[in-house]
Formats: sequence, structure tokens, C-alpha cells
Amino acid sequence: MRNQSRRSFLKQAAFAGTAAAAAPVAGTAIAQEAASATMSIARWNGAPVAEADVGPMAVKLTEQAIEALGGMGRFVSSGNSVWIKPNMAWDRTPEQAANTNPDVVATLIRLCFDAGAKTVRVGDFTCNEASKTYPRSGIEAAAKAAGAEVMYLDPSRFREYVIGGSRLDKWQVCPEIVESDLVINVPIAKHHSISTVTLAMKNYMGVVDKRNVFHQDIPTCLCDITRFMSPKLCVLDAVRILTAHGPTGGDLADVQRKDTVVASTDIVALDAFGAELLGHDPKDIATVAAGDAAGLGTLDYRSLIPKEIAVA
Amino acid sequence: MTSRQKMLVLRWLRRSVQGGCFAVFLWTVVVAARGSVEETSKTAEIFFLFDPLVMLTTIIASRAFTALLLLGLITMALTVVFGRFFCGWICPLGSIHATVSALRKDSTFDLVQREKWSPWNRWKYYILIGMLVGAAFGANWIGLLDPFSLLYRTTFTVFGPAIRVAVEDGSTAIYQSDPHIGPVHATMATEPAYRFFRDHVFVANRQSFYGGVLISAVFLITVGLNFYRKRFWCRYLCPLGALLGLAAWRPWLRMRTCGETCTECGLCRVNCQGAGTPDKPGEWRPSECFLCLNCTAKCNWDAITFTVQNPLRGEAAPSVDLSRRAAMTAGLVGAGTLLSLRLSPVAQGKVFDPNLVRPPGALAESEFLSRCVRCGLCMRVCPTNGLQPAGFDTGIEGLWTPRLVAQVGYCEYECNRCGAVCPTEAIQPLDMETKKATKLGLASFDTSRCLPYAYGRECMVCEEHCPISTKAIHFIETEVKMRDGSVRVLKQPRVDPERCIGCGICEAKCVFRDQPAIRVTSANETRHPNNQPILSGFTLYDAPPVESGGGDPYG
Repeated sequence: MRNQSRRSFLKQAAFAGTAAAAAPVAGTAIAQEAASATMSIARWNGAPVAEADVGPMAVKLTEQAIEALGGMGRFVSSGNSVWIKPNMAWDRTPEQAANTNPDVVATLIRLCFDAGAKTVRVGDFTCNEASKTYPRSGIEAAAKAAGAEVMYLDPSRFREYVIGGSRLDKWQVCPEIVESDLVINVPIAKHHSISTVTLAMKNYMGVVDKRNVFHQDIPTCLCDITRFMSPKLCVLDAVRILTAHGPTGGDLADVQRKDTVVASTDIVALDAFGAELLGHDPKDIATVAAGDAAGLGTLDYRSLIPKEIAVA
Repeated sequence: MTSRQKMLVLRWLRRSVQGGCFAVFLWTVVVAARGSVEETSKTAEIFFLFDPLVMLTTIIASRAFTALLLLGLITMALTVVFGRFFCGWICPLGSIHATVSALRKDSTFDLVQREKWSPWNRWKYYILIGMLVGAAFGANWIGLLDPFSLLYRTTFTVFGPAIRVAVEDGSTAIYQSDPHIGPVHATMATEPAYRFFRDHVFVANRQSFYGGVLISAVFLITVGLNFYRKRFWCRYLCPLGALLGLAAWRPWLRMRTCGETCTECGLCRVNCQGAGTPDKPGEWRPSECFLCLNCTAKCNWDAITFTVQNPLRGEAAPSVDLSRRAAMTAGLVGAGTLLSLRLSPVAQGKVFDPNLVRPPGALAESEFLSRCVRCGLCMRVCPTNGLQPAGFDTGIEGLWTPRLVAQVGYCEYECNRCGAVCPTEAIQPLDMETKKATKLGLASFDTSRCLPYAYGRECMVCEEHCPISTKAIHFIETEVKMRDGSVRVLKQPRVDPERCIGCGICEAKCVFRDQPAIRVTSANETRHPNNQPILSGFTLYDAPPVESGGGDPYG
């Protein structure tokens, strides 16, 4: 992301040149409109889907949400390395809605490869032991089946980066994530006891070490790390959401089906939408408000005129 | 093929079997930490299951049979027929000692003087007697000296982690500094090696353990003693060797030295691993012979043969030949030592050690100690590294038994691997639902450190991680006066003692890494009803129901 290798620069330059030359021929008004969209909301509008059939629905929702933003080709260039950062921090099953839906993750992997990505890696710095959360979340198997590399993070190999934030000056961050060409932030919408909700900004907790001190001032810390990560694409999994006893959950009574996937280039708008989905005014969520005030995006996500897609 | 050539082939066969068994041992060490949530590899138990000493002491001490342990009878039966082949062919610790012993190069003259049977060979029998008598009094200390406990414990807690530190920290240092000459980076060699070890050898999380100095000292000293006498441990100390020696009192397979062809050159004695007196016709000691076959393979005159004999007939071999007085003393020392350890208020169950948090499914303390063989398997499979060998701080009797040190690692909610691998069921194999309901202890806050109490800051990391649904840690919004006189509403955490199972994730994740502001002690542990201060059955989080108009019952 920061340190671009010469080879990848040349590749990208060559690709961009070709694309620029081809654009007048291939470009249509519709594609251009999609390529400028900043937010898309894919909601299931078909017949009610049984719990056992959530997977295929999640695939369709994800595909259409990305398509409405102009397709994965807008974010991924040929030869790119992509890091997909789901929330897979907890030793819980997909039905318990504490981790990102595995089918959403697998679909993003496939779209990245289709767009020409060279490597797609999936990994999270987990809360429960990764050796348990990776398989139990269902993401390890789904990601491997989709051809991604599943990465177990080793905090002893994190590097100190200059964050330059107001709380975080220098901090240990996973270098393999930072150095990827693209990081796709894929949280699940959940209740959280400290920050009320946990969404995309909070999902960046899983790329840094020693994050438990963040809780003393979560909004500022998350703004710092979000600015450092400079998100390009965030995808919110709201197929199932966790409405109480988060972020760990565990009780199926706290899980609600929303059958929704949202994609956005504006992380604050995405989080504002998620907060609303969880029953809050985004202005009341300190992290979202702080993100808006810090200029990381807008909490008035409606002002972006998100593309609403009814999927069936 | 002459008989001597046959013996040379057999000796190579023996070495191959030793190598194979050692490879099996290494393999069990590597795979022990593998296995998924649903399936825990039990392969590392294999040596313990065939260990008749573990079988005997566990059954004597716990007065309970575990059917699997009876596999040790197979080893005993084979020993009755073949003698101590187990020591010479199978035992991986014996193979280590044999290999180290072979490193010593002395003149044959010196060896002839030194390598002979001595009354010190009897010490292992006295150690065995002491252990067995202790076991009869319900205290099982065999794990300190059982060869597999010794070997696995040391490998799991010291050597394995040491190798890992060397490989990972070495390659990480190179990764971080990235030395290179032009386009050739050192990481091109070290990174594939790092990844190979990470993905195929180490697999699970990195582990580190307290008390490694003492654990490894015992091991290294016994290895070093091979330079004093060949296979010192096996000859003089090993209680399993002693038990097998007793079974090998009159084996069917016997060595014969032909007095007519023997020139008394002493080569057999020099090469004998066990000081079994092969050099004197009629004085061979089957209880000390490891069936290593060095004597017959080395004999230039084909004077030594192994033949099958009816144990009831034939030449009488020298007996184990214990001193009755010494054996009595050993028994008394065993009983006395272990009984004296049972005199403390903790051992008598009057009070409980707050720091002694045992793994889920651990039996009540006295039963637990009668079974635990201190092999370290539970510590190896623990995914968070929370299970640590106890030192002297929780009592000498519990030395190197597993305890949960939550500050290092918590008890994973959806995990029951320690009970699944325990060879003696000192930690019971619990199904997942029972395990999740088993209380290891109770968490309590140190409000002089906890941020929302002591420093006027938000935190709640403990609450965030609590795995119980309807969390055991909850918060009370409290108005707190700040330094400038302003009032701030802070979420101050509390523990619901009915819901808390003492898993310790709160302690493990607390921002304080020196002295956590929330700690789990053994209070409320399921295994000790007398250590349960909390009356259960309240429907509210904390408060006992207040009856209207009740008032103060003591008022």
C-alpha cells in the first residue's frame, strides 16, 4: 500500500495505460456512473430464505453490492495483492453472528481473483485463539476453497509504523496487511458493550497489537488507525447481525437476520448505516461521530445517495 | 551366516527399532498440539498406556481402574518372556542415554574396571518401593521419575519451546533487519524455513513455561551422568526399569556364556549397557540386562548365546538380591515423606490455595494428586498456554502438576483438550457442555487498579471478552468526580458470581500485564464444594432478593 515495488508499479502503469487507451471504446455512461458510486446497499427481496440456505443468498448479495459500485475491477488491478480483513476474532459459529459470514468473504475472494488479483490473503488478529476461531468461523475453509491464503498473524512480526494520530503516535501493525495493494475491510454488524456497535472502523482493531488500551478512548484511537489504513473498500456483512451481548454473543436469541450486504468507499457512511441497522442514531455513536468530525467520511450516508439494490 | 553375523544383524535391528521408537516419540510431540476443536489427537498417550509403572501406581494410589491403563500388562507379560527388552529396544529415554553413553571414549582397561554390576544397581528398586508405598498412601509421585513423564515433560516445557525460540526469533531477527547483498536477501533462505516450521512442525501457538530450569536440570543431570557410568539412569535410578527388572527375574529368553570357549577377555562386560554381568558364566543378571545384544555381537569367540529356557528349570540366575533392611527403609521414607506433605492446612482441606486453579475436569485435589503423572500433555495441548507446571509455590506435592495461570493464558471456552489427552484421567474427559458449565474459580476486581474505578477511565476489556452469553461481567454506570471537579459517568465492571466460570479470559486480556486488575482465584471451583462461598439460585445479577418491608435482619 505504502511501499510499492518497482515491478508492481510498472505493471500498474502498463495496465493503466492500456485501460486509458481502451476507455473511450469500452466506457459507457452506466459504467461511469457505477464507478463513481460510493455506497451500495443490497437487500434480499426474494422469498424468505431458510437458515440452511443463507450461503447462496449471501453470495448474491455480495456480488450485487460490489457490482453496483462498478465491480471489483474498480479496486483491484491485475497482479495486485489483496488482504481481506473479516472479523473472525471469536470462537463462534457463523449462526452465532460474532464473526463475518464466510460466504461474503469467499465471494469477495472470488471477485478479487476474477478482477486479476495475484494473491488474496485472509487474516485477522483474533481475540480467542486463532487456531480455534479460524476453523469455527467457517472462514478458513471457505477462504481456502476460494483459493485465498489463510494467514495466521504472528504479533512478534508486527512492525512499528508511524501512525501520527492524536492518541497513537507509533504503533505495532501487521506489515503484511499494510503492504498489501488493497485491504478490504469486511466487518459484521454487532452490538458492542463499550462502543455500542462494532462495525468497519472497529474492525481495524484486528490489524494492530496491544489494542486493549484503545478502550480508554476508542473513538480517537479508531480514527487514528482508520486514517493510517486509508480504506478504499469496506463491505458490511449484515446478513445476520448481533443485537445484544456483543461482541462475543453466543446466544442465538440475540441474532437477527437482516439479509443485507453493504459496500462503500466511505467507511464512516458504512458505519452510520450499520449503526442505524442496529437501532441507533449514527450521531449518538461516538466512533461514527468522531470519524465524521475527523473528515474520514460522512455520517449522513443518505447524502451519498446510496444505490439500493433489491436482490432476489 | 555365522551366529555372530546373525547377532550383528540383530543388533542393527535393535538400533533400527530404537530409532523408530524415538521417531514415534518425536512424532507424538509434534502432533500432540494439532487436532481441531472437535478432535484431539491422543497419539501422545501411547507410551503412557504401555507403561506398567504408571498403570500400577495410578491404580494403587487412586484405587480406581481405568481400562486403558491395563495395556501396561502387555509390556509386563512380554518382559516376563523376554526380559528388559523394553529398556534396550523401545524406551526413547533409554535410547537417549544409550546414545550419550556411546559418546564416551575410554580405554578398555578403564571400562573393565568400571562397567560392572555394583550394589548401587539396587537403588532403583528402593526408589520403586518408596514410590509404591507412597502410592499405597494415596500419593502418586511417580511422575517425577517415570521415564516418559520425565521425557515428555522436559520436551514439552523446555526443549520444544527452546527450539522454537531459536528458529522463530532467529528468522524474525533476519526478517526485521533484512540483510542483503544486492538482490540476494538472507530472508530468501530463512523465510521458507520459518514457514515450514510454522506450518508443519510448530503448528499451534508458541508456548513458554515457568520452572523450566528445574525441569531441564533433572533431565540434563541424568544425561550427564552417562559420562560417569553408562546408562546411569537406567541402571541405578529408573523406577520403570526396576519394575521391569522384577518381572525379568527369570525370563524365558536367557543368555548363556560358554565357559569352555570364553577367554575372559572382558569385551562383553565393556560393551554391556546394563551391567548385567555377561562375562561370568552362570552369573548373568537378567534383571539388569537390556537385551541390547552388544555382548554376543562383540564376542570374538562366539561364547555367548541367547536361548529359550523353561523358566522353572535350568540354571538359577542371581536374584534381584535386595537388602531387606534397605527395602524397609525405602518404604518408610516413601510413606513418611508423602504423609508429611499431607499435614498442611491446605492438604487437609481446611483452607484452599487461591492461586491453585486447576484445569476443567480436574478431580478434587487429593484424588487429582493420586493420578497426575506430571507428563505435561495437558500443557502441550492447551491452546492458550495457560496451563503451566506448578512450582513449589503451591506445595511440594504438586510439583509440575498443571495449573491455570490465567495471566499467561485463559481457559478457552469451547475447548476440552486437556481432559481428552490426560492418560490417567486426573483431568476427566468432559463433553463440551459439561466443560462449559464447570467452574474453575471466580474472578474478582482489584478496584485499586481497575481503570474505571481507580483512574477514572473507560476500559471494559474484560467484559468484552467474557464468553458467557449474558456476560458474567457487567457494568454499573457510576458518576465519578474527576480531578477538575467535573462529574463523568463511567461504566464500572462487576462480576456476577453465579455466571462466572473462572475461565480467566478477563485476567488474560486485562490491560495490566504486570498485575492484572481482575484475577481468578480458586473460589467457587466445581471440584471442591467446601471452596464455594457463593449461594446459587439468585435471579438478579448481584443482589439477593429484597423482601418488601424486610428491613435489616441484624438491625
